[in-house]
Amino acid sequence: MMLFLPYFHISAQLPDADEIMDRGRELTLMGSLNANVNLLITEKNGATRNRTIAMTTKSYPGGLEKRLIRFLEPADVRGTSMLVIDNKDKPDEMWIYLPALKKTRRIVSSEKGKSFMSSEFSNADMSTPALSDFSNKHTANSGSADYWIIESIPVNDNVADEYGFSKKVSHIKKENYLVTKMEYYNFDDELFKTIEVRSYYPLSNGKYTIEDMAAINHSNGRKSEIQFTNLKENVEIDDSFFTIANLER
Amino acid sequence: MIVDPLIKTIPSEGDTAGINELYNDILNNPFARNIVFSSDMTSASITATINNTESESVVLAKVDSVVAANTGNARIMKGGLPYIRLHIMKDVKRDAIVLVPLALIVMLLVLKLTLGEWRSVFMPFSVVLLSTGICMGLIPLIGWKLSIITLLVPILLIAVGNNYGIYLVTKFHDICRKGKYIPKREIINEIIRSLKKPLIYSGLTTIAGILGLLTHSIIPARQMGVLAAAGVLAALIMSILLIPGFIYIRSKRTEGLKAPFLGNDVFKKILNPLAELIIRYPGHIIIYSVIFTIVLSSGMSLLKIETNQENYFPKNNPVRQASDIINRKFGGSQTISVMIAGDIKDPVIMRRIDELTRETEHTDGVGQVFSISQAVREMSKAVFLPEEESYDQIPSTRESIAQLFELYNMSGNYDDFSQMLNLENTRAHVLIKLSDPSNVVIKNVNNKIQTITKDIPAEVTTGGYAMIMADFARSIIKGQIFSLGFALITVFILLSLIFKSFRGGLTGSIPLAVSILILFGFMGFTGIALDAATALLSSIMIGVGVDFTIQYIWSFSNNIRNGLTYEESTRTSLRTIGRSIIINALTVMTGFSVLVLSGFSSIRFFGYLVLISIGSCLAGAIILIPAIIMKFRPGFVKADMNTLKKQ
Repeated sequence: MMLFLPYFHISAQLPDADEIMDRGRELTLMGSLNANVNLLITEKNGATRNRTIAMTTKSYPGGLEKRLIRFLEPADVRGTSMLVIDNKDKPDEMWIYLPALKKTRRIVSSEKGKSFMSSEFSNADMSTPALSDFSNKHTANSGSADYWIIESIPVNDNVADEYGFSKKVSHIKKENYLVTKMEYYNFDDELFKTIEVRSYYPLSNGKYTIEDMAAINHSNGRKSEIQFTNLKENVEIDDSFFTIANLER
Repeated sequence: MIVDPLIKTIPSEGDTAGINELYNDILNNPFARNIVFSSDMTSASITATINNTESESVVLAKVDSVVAANTGNARIMKGGLPYIRLHIMKDVKRDAIVLVPLALIVMLLVLKLTLGEWRSVFMPFSVVLLSTGICMGLIPLIGWKLSIITLLVPILLIAVGNNYGIYLVTKFHDICRKGKYIPKREIINEIIRSLKKPLIYSGLTTIAGILGLLTHSIIPARQMGVLAAAGVLAALIMSILLIPGFIYIRSKRTEGLKAPFLGNDVFKKILNPLAELIIRYPGHIIIYSVIFTIVLSSGMSLLKIETNQENYFPKNNPVRQASDIINRKFGGSQTISVMIAGDIKDPVIMRRIDELTRETEHTDGVGQVFSISQAVREMSKAVFLPEEESYDQIPSTRESIAQLFELYNMSGNYDDFSQMLNLENTRAHVLIKLSDPSNVVIKNVNNKIQTITKDIPAEVTTGGYAMIMADFARSIIKGQIFSLGFALITVFILLSLIFKSFRGGLTGSIPLAVSILILFGFMGFTGIALDAATALLSSIMIGVGVDFTIQYIWSFSNNIRNGLTYEESTRTSLRTIGRSIIINALTVMTGFSVLVLSGFSSIRFFGYLVLISIGSCLAGAIILIPAIIMKFRPGFVKADMNTLKKQ
């Protein structure tokens, strides 16, 4: 009996995994945000692609999120704009406005877990996932160092399909409940992507938002890095901002 | 704009509607039809490219094991250049192991039939065996590799290497058949005296002719030149030293020599009437020969060059079958690549890429073309309506093109373009798949590429395996013409020196020149294309053709100087040396006939062509040359070629 005591000892100390995830989520959840985003994609062979965009997002109750993106760099795509309606239970809606052609087109894609601007980040990585989509539990070595290591598994196949992975392992710093690393596993249970959060930006209300992160795709060796500058939190954005009329402005 | 996986779910077996819908989706998708599915929906293809991280053979072995583990009910074929290369290597080895011994056995049998006793057979045979051994041993010793071309070296030696031995042995038989007892030492003296010079001259001329291959731009051809020359030299030296040695140590007396199956009687029945014909109608023979040569050589204008390695294999070979299906149903397995380096988003460049794509698409022999301009057009179709002017067009501004790319970026996977455009948009790749990767098609496509990209503001490089092969073809022709010219001139100079006469050089070169004309004319008419293997035929013809001519002229000259008339000299020469020449030609032809069993079509054709070319060399030496000498009675045949003074 004595042999099992140390185990019970540690196990008893571990807080509930859902609770940890929820605290981390609450810390980074925000209503709306205005920022400039720099996206750098580096190919395995060293070739790079750089995009700078201005992004405005607004979160609505029930998981709906709207995003408007305007390209700033490079010069030949400046003014190209995108409106994304990130629906909770149906496919995302996307419109893109091409100023040189003076055309707005709707983009339809049923592919879930789709990439954000062709980077290694998915659209889901750009928003805060709903807690109810996953069942969370501690991994074997969770809590042994300064981190909680929590495994999140989509509650059903549809959710897994939507997010595009079968398992996510999050490394959460014990002291502040902020996620520092996320590892994504594909449907063959192989690690295919790692996201490292390099820095958080402290917001005025005690919350945080990601400032700098990198995603590495292990299957093609490509790396995407994203940096947020000129962050403006909780800006008042009218719903009319997220319309096609505004997109073509 | 919709960017979606083509097959989201695979319909179950009984779901006819679902299956039909999937069929329609596939057939209406320009990026799937004839690319991953054939339009008759009986074949599907998986295309893979091999990068440099692992050796080709390792990758192919891995692919094979994956295929073997997943065969199911379908027939799976593997094709493409890596498989072609793999099979060529395998078949070259198999051919070397099977054909060389087989050629030796066939030659052995012919020698038995013509020379009679086994002892006489083994004399020239041992020379062939030893010189072939020396030659093949040289390949790894020098560090060369066995290739489809060097494979021909042992076969060439089997053809040429026994020549000298046969002359020596038949001369020995001629002496023995005189019926009286002659001491062995004298027999050997007599053989050496009469044959030493023509053999050495013939050997050296052959070596000089074969060394013409050193001017060839293709390395294996040069290697073959070196190996064959070394082999012929070894055969010559061994014939002159070894065979008299063999004759000397024969324990048996020489008088009672048994006549072989194809004995003198048989030869007499052919050669005596031939001699009479030549003596009576030399003029007619010359005129008919000229007409025959002109008519046949006109086929040279139809001569084709073949560098398509697929055609090395016969039609029922699995690699050939896979290639044929890829060519017929999936646009082709061989490709030409055009790399364009510059500002690809510049509409001037993009329009030129578009023009190149559309022009080459409609060229005969081109299966499919892939380029970024097609994607740009597709994107313009997604943005504009059919009634709008910009629908299915390349936009006119750089920004418009950049924004179309961005549109695709947002909706599809950027990797979709990675084969056609690099990430920085500074390099575009136009991939042209050839359904008929023949030399003519490649030349045509290349001309179009050059014309269209002439003043494009970008750097254009054309490459791809098909282009390399086309360059190879040019090298073959150039090398062929050059080494043939070199060889003919060398042979002419050497013969002029040997016969101490310009006319002698000219006369001696005639059978060779005529044979070359007839051979290429024949190839033109029958559609057998020049390729890496057939291009080397000329070396064999030089080796054999020159030898036949020298032997005949030498023998004739000896007879004339011994006081015989032209008519008597013709009869005697044909009966003695003529017989040796025929035996020689027969061994060569039958030896080469085993090539018909080769796994490569090209080597098979080579076997047939040897029959034609040796046959014409034979006819040149024992019909045309005697007729020319009878008709024109040139002075050089009366000169004593054994001394340096002119008579």
